[in-house]
Amino acid sequence: MRREAGVVVALGRRALSVQFRRAQLLMPTFVLPLMLLAVIASGTSAAQDLRGFPDVGSYLAFVVPGTLIQGALLAGLTSGIAFAGDIEFGFFDRLLAAPVRRSSLILGRQAGTIGLSLLQSVFFLGVAALAGAHFEGSPLALLAAVGLAAITAVGLGGVASAIAIRTGSLSLLQSIFPFMFVLLFTAPAFFPRDLLAPALHDVAAYNPLTYVVEAVRGLLTGDASAGGAGAGLAAAVGMAVAATALATFALRERLRTL
Amino acid sequence: MSVPSPSSPAVEVSGLVREFKGGIRAVDGLDLAVAAGEIYGFLGPNGAGKTTCVRILTTLLRPTAGVARVAGHDVVAEADAVRRAIGVALQEAAIDPLMSGRELLRMQGALHGLRGAAARERAGELLERVGLTQAGDRRVGGYSGGMRRRLDLALALVHRPRVLFLDEPTTGLDPTSRGALWREVRSLNDEGTTVFLTTQYLEEAEQLADRVGIIASGRLVAEGAPDVLKARVGEPTLHVELADPASADRARTALAHLGSVQAPDPAAPTKVELRTAGGKAAIAPVIRALDEHGVVVESVEVESPTLDDVFAAVTGSHLEGAGAAP
Repeated sequence: MRREAGVVVALGRRALSVQFRRAQLLMPTFVLPLMLLAVIASGTSAAQDLRGFPDVGSYLAFVVPGTLIQGALLAGLTSGIAFAGDIEFGFFDRLLAAPVRRSSLILGRQAGTIGLSLLQSVFFLGVAALAGAHFEGSPLALLAAVGLAAITAVGLGGVASAIAIRTGSLSLLQSIFPFMFVLLFTAPAFFPRDLLAPALHDVAAYNPLTYVVEAVRGLLTGDASAGGAGAGLAAAVGMAVAATALATFALRERLRTL
Repeated sequence: MSVPSPSSPAVEVSGLVREFKGGIRAVDGLDLAVAAGEIYGFLGPNGAGKTTCVRILTTLLRPTAGVARVAGHDVVAEADAVRRAIGVALQEAAIDPLMSGRELLRMQGALHGLRGAAARERAGELLERVGLTQAGDRRVGGYSGGMRRRLDLALALVHRPRVLFLDEPTTGLDPTSRGALWREVRSLNDEGTTVFLTTQYLEEAEQLADRVGIIASGRLVAEGAPDVLKARVGEPTLHVELADPASADRARTALAHLGSVQAPDPAAPTKVELRTAGGKAAIAPVIRALDEHGVVVESVEVESPTLDDVFAAVTGSHLEGAGAAP
């Protein structure tokens, strides 16, 4: 067990360090969410004057949870892209030829995703704070919000890894990038759920990201009515466990049919 | 898990078949055995089934039928035990260009249970062994082809494997890098490592392998020590160039007791050809015999059968790009 933990840590460290050496992956994971945050925070702040908009002290603090979750989704997706690259260029064979549990190969990749998401969230919160966002939540609540985002990253990372393992196609992973935005915008990432159009409101109820983003918002703003941490944690953990299991199953199937 | 006996072959393959989609049989009923401590050269043209066979032996691919055992363990039922016993350097040097050589070695160490100081120390040892100490902290993307291959070899050695698989380790390398890699392979073998080497270069097989297996269309078509295989297709020929065409008949008489003298070629009246098992060793007796008969010699050349001749003799075609490595 200790040996496998060492493998997971080594693979996680490698996944994270390589991520920072790929400019093409750093751009979407760190810069793109901030750009979107800047556009939304500056261009749609009048939304807070709408009737029914929650009484928030800082509009920036209200929309930052969407940025954290967007970052988490991108961390997961780029993790899958890197995984597909490992498969396509042969590096994964090196790992498969080693005497390690197959599940450790998935968990190692997921460890890197968690590390990336944690760094992203701290970065986004820091930039938002410098830009004037006021977070009313306690330091512990802020940490919990960062943790929730990381668990969410594991969820999408697992799905992306499963696709990478089944197809081994780097280009396919890159092509699902737009669908990630559909997932994000069918959750109340930047807008209160109660003010969404009825159809979108109904869709949001089935989107697990809804509960995560509302929980993060509740933790950051210190307003529990914004979203229950328990529901958010359940949704994030559910996605992470299901997706990691899916990736592990995909790997077993790939190896069985080699 | 079975416990291999010390006398078990390092690699044992029986009736191995690998069929891909569309019914293509890359490996088609292969039988071979490699003794512990041997360098076995697996020679064949592109598409012959060499890499598929290596991928099965290194647990990266499942056989469709047949049995393969490496270091005494079944590659399917005891894959983990096989992975602990083998080192693998794959054809597509599977190296992340964004990592440094040292980082890769430490990560490979972790995959084999080495941690902390032990992993650092082993990485340093191996970098020194393959002459990459100075480049160890540079990203692999900046390495030359030869440096990558040497690093790939070092990665395969992290856990001191008993059996080392090298899949076309020198393809695309310049002669200097190739020579350095050959020396390292010999040195590893001297230390007791069994080496299973695939190659499409005849020279590489001849230089390195104790025994050669020639594969064509997924089947083993010839196997044995390079000299034995070559002897099967014919004896070396000595080409003697004479100073005076008038001395040709005397020369043939003088050489008759040393081997089989070929019929004269009217188009080359100064040439005499002698087939003899002696090869290079026959040069001195030939010169002596001709001298005793007063025949003046311009030059003597020895032409030996090659492994390509062996391949041609058993398959009717030649190896693609056969001959020496570029």
